[in-house]
Amino acid sequence: MFNKAFPIVVAALAWSASGQSLNHKIDLPKDSPVGLLSADFGNSNVIARGGASQIEVNASLSLRNSSQKRIRSMTLMVYAQDGAAGGKGSVAVPTLDAAPGETFSIGIKTLLVRPLTSGSPAVEVKLDGVLFDDLSFYGPDTLHSQRTMTVWELEAQRDRKYFKNLLETAGAEALGKEMLASLARQGDRSRMGVQMVRGRATNTEADREFQFASLDIPESPIELSNGLARVAGNEARAPRFDIRNRSNRAVQHLEIGWLVKGQQGREFQAASVPGDVKLAPNQSGQVTQEATLRFDRPLAIESMSAFVASVEFADGTQWVPSRSALDQPRLRQVVEPSPEEQHLSQIYNKKGLQALIAELKKF
Amino acid sequence: MNRHTAETDLALYASGDLPVWRRLAAGFHVRRCDECRGLLETFRTDRQRMRQSADRLPEDIDWDGLSAEITANIHVGLAAGECVTPRARKAAALTWWRPVAAAAGVVVLIGGAWWLNVPRSDTETIARALQSMFTGQRGTLTQPAPQEERGPMVGASSAGVELVENGGRMKIEQSGLQPVMYSVSTQGSASTRWVDQDTGQVTITAVYVQ
Repeated sequence: MFNKAFPIVVAALAWSASGQSLNHKIDLPKDSPVGLLSADFGNSNVIARGGASQIEVNASLSLRNSSQKRIRSMTLMVYAQDGAAGGKGSVAVPTLDAAPGETFSIGIKTLLVRPLTSGSPAVEVKLDGVLFDDLSFYGPDTLHSQRTMTVWELEAQRDRKYFKNLLETAGAEALGKEMLASLARQGDRSRMGVQMVRGRATNTEADREFQFASLDIPESPIELSNGLARVAGNEARAPRFDIRNRSNRAVQHLEIGWLVKGQQGREFQAASVPGDVKLAPNQSGQVTQEATLRFDRPLAIESMSAFVASVEFADGTQWVPSRSALDQPRLRQVVEPSPEEQHLSQIYNKKGLQALIAELKKF
Repeated sequence: MNRHTAETDLALYASGDLPVWRRLAAGFHVRRCDECRGLLETFRTDRQRMRQSADRLPEDIDWDGLSAEITANIHVGLAAGECVTPRARKAAALTWWRPVAAAAGVVVLIGGAWWLNVPRSDTETIARALQSMFTGQRGTLTQPAPQEERGPMVGASSAGVELVENGGRMKIEQSGLQPVMYSVSTQGSASTRWVDQDTGQVTITAVYVQ
């Protein structure tokens, strides 16, 4: 009997392991400021695995800036075309800086696992947003890319200005030292894998209330106080903060950085807590999120801190902390550097000081 | 003496099979009756002749065939007997591999069905609950434990970002790169930052709860 069944089992396994073709679609609007030159999905495939399809997208898109402005950053949305389980993701390039007519490439490496359905699986790549050097924006903004990319650009302008100023006032050697210090901080920064579940706790242990220490940034338009979260075992959930708008402009959104320190003494930025609020000048309010943060390693939480990472005013303009505000020793060791600082420090690390100076002189 | 002994009694007398009282009476009569004595001698002569002919067996008897035929007849007889009284069957010998093979088959069947049908999140939840039962880890406060609630999950780690939702999974990574930063947002997203070692180009990948 086994001799008869064995070839059938082998054939079934061979069939299931064989790849199917992947249908893909790249959706760029007709008036898009970027044009598609080529798309290579050559290494993509679909594997039937049990009752699921495993879709591996290995794509490289070659694009051209067809607008008249410099593109600072771009976000592409990637999702299963039928909208079924498998979710949506994005690939963004915050340090792009593509001049009009310039070509650039974006790589996409995505793994989608979803239940088997009839028909060929398909993946769609859509343009979600393009941010220009004058902070103007193009795109459907499904993922709120405009807000995120504007923060990246403001941080980039802040950091480039800081490094250029350092070069002009203290010279190349000081710039080199600053870059080495930045690389050292990046290498020394503690990290931990984290998961986030929307809704109530997933832990079966009883929880206890834990208070946040507020790291006040005096220039911040929002004052943060009375931060609380419930902690149980390896999880922290339901963060809640009292906020007050101490600026003279109405605020509609803010982002709070959530720092966690374990009993081993290492502190790291675990999550961000966004809040959509409508706060007039001097008005107070509250930010609450019914979400659970879970760490991928056992962690005995010793303390938790929070700081205001960004604020969006009612007119759409944004505030980000200045370099001097981030120079507080406590924040400097923990807050992640901007994408632009990582971009510049990597140029220094790989190509040297002169390449960095040339990069800073570009804009 | 005018009444003769019956021929059947004479035949039985000749073979010695007549009962004792009738044998005495028959012997008394035969000694005085010539006719019956003659008939008795005839029976005795025939009997001796038959015994002699039975002692001489034919020379061409097939003993093997005869044996097979007799054996077959015995089996036929036994089978016919079982129709009336069923014969008790011999119990099969117990061997260790039979239950092991059966259990392995059941495990493979259940495991396959589970893998095909039960979402991974459910499996993880059950595993956590079982672990909690066996290790005895419980809350130390009197407050009732929060109930397990399934929901979409996003995660960020050195392996990239991952979304688990509705039995599906999405993972985004970058070829050959180690992330330099990863974080989650309580509004339902996870992001990872990658830096190209040669160009310094930064790529940020993210997944979002629907």
